[in-house]
Amino acid sequence: MLETLSLWFASNFGEQTAGWFDYFTNGKHLAWYASVRFTLLAAFFGALLAVLFGVLGAAARRSGFAPLRWIGLGYTTMVRGIPDVLFFLFFPLAFEQLVEFIMSRRLCSAEELATAVAWPPCQAAQWYLTTSEYLVMACVSLGIVYGAFAANVVHGAMNSVPKGQLEAARAYGFNSRQIFWNFQVRQMWVYALPGLSNVWMLLLKATSFLSLLQIADIVQWADRLGAPNYLARVGMVHPDWRWKYYFVLFLFYILLTVISERVFDWLQRRAGRGLALHGEQ
Amino acid sequence: MDWLLNNAIVQDIIELARPSLFNLYFALASIPIGFPLAVLLAVMKNSSNGIISRVARTYIYAFRGSPLFIQFFMFYSIMLAFNLSHWKPMGIAHIVMHPLFIGPMVLILNTSAYAAEIFYGALKTLPKGEMEAASAFGMNRWQIFKTVTWPNMIRLAWPAYTNEVVFLFHATALVYFTLPVINGQKDLMNKAGEMFERDYNIFLHFSVAGLYFLTISMVIFFVSGRIYKRLMRHMDTGEAASFKLKPNYMR
Repeated sequence: MLETLSLWFASNFGEQTAGWFDYFTNGKHLAWYASVRFTLLAAFFGALLAVLFGVLGAAARRSGFAPLRWIGLGYTTMVRGIPDVLFFLFFPLAFEQLVEFIMSRRLCSAEELATAVAWPPCQAAQWYLTTSEYLVMACVSLGIVYGAFAANVVHGAMNSVPKGQLEAARAYGFNSRQIFWNFQVRQMWVYALPGLSNVWMLLLKATSFLSLLQIADIVQWADRLGAPNYLARVGMVHPDWRWKYYFVLFLFYILLTVISERVFDWLQRRAGRGLALHGEQ
Repeated sequence: MDWLLNNAIVQDIIELARPSLFNLYFALASIPIGFPLAVLLAVMKNSSNGIISRVARTYIYAFRGSPLFIQFFMFYSIMLAFNLSHWKPMGIAHIVMHPLFIGPMVLILNTSAYAAEIFYGALKTLPKGEMEAASAFGMNRWQIFKTVTWPNMIRLAWPAYTNEVVFLFHATALVYFTLPVINGQKDLMNKAGEMFERDYNIFLHFSVAGLYFLTISMVIFFVSGRIYKRLMRHMDTGEAASFKLKPNYMR
């Protein structure tokens, strides 16, 4: 199909354009376009986990059991003092070490364990991670970090659910667990939506960190492709074009933001049907 | 005394003290320029002139809608592209290509967009009556800005702006992920990463680096709270004057 398109370009716009078309559809460029999937997958599954951790974190924060409440409070406040990128690197590396620690107890000899200076103590315990494993860890990491943001949003939204609704449920004889999950959590979404859209925007931008976990994502490919390209057969293809490739990514993320804004506006309108929310009937 | 100095945590705290100064430098270098630029952008966005408003709107949208990580890479590579044709002939390449210059430059561009949105939000909620009173007194536009718009805007926006300053401080962690390290000038994250590669003790090194970020964030909240109290000193000890330590989690 690409050859046909290339020929079509050659016949309509001349050889020069066709040449550039060929260049921008070569294997490396196709790999770059395909690497968008890592970004989108991380954003999607990261967001799902963030909502899950958010609800759990908010539930912990409202728990009647004090230690659980402290954990919830600690979880929701940690993101205020410490940068997200630190957590983003910390969780995967810590998990990798934990697995290697367990593996080393089972696979390494006692002598190796005692004399080891490097990590892991012996080669057998080394865990070589593939891209998909790193991607899963990146999703979990994003989920934990932005789950803390989401927990704050959810916590606030739960307070916005009209008290009368909960009192009515109590009067009908629902127990407190039912009231929490079936009324408070069920009804808070419409109040949480503006805040969650904010968290989504933050999370979307954090997906640019994937290359820090050695995933060949769009950022890493842009860096490779933009570097000065010299081919012995054709000479200098282009000088340092990295800024052009990064500019494309800059626009790509702005486009994602525009789309997300539209979707959240639509969701907000849809979720707010029949409710008298501030500013909207 | 020796046992204290030999403690692994204390050693980490000492070793990370110098790197933390780089994070502080990036934040402190960005705020004095980013703040007025943000106010200017907010006023521009609020302008009745369509072109000026649109320019500010586009700028703010673009920088809030894309990751800082990409912005760092993009501006660094743009500066590199200019290097051959502009900076080298002018003989200033060693200054403008230095991370200590590019870091604050990109942070200023980024934070001014976020802060401008905050100030713009404050401008939208200014008390209308005060503006009308000022113009009824025959004040010109500059006088109105000076006596009504500015003090009200600052008071309304201060808690959210504090939040933005903390986010800016956290964003300084990204500088040396994207820019080259020169003369061993490493920041907290970079140094913590280097120490991690030395003995693979991620829990210790990253926790101490996180502790530095946490402590400095708390100091920012505290100082800003004192400033807010001073800004609000004409108010009674009402609800508005009490500064919440965590006003807003959103950037």
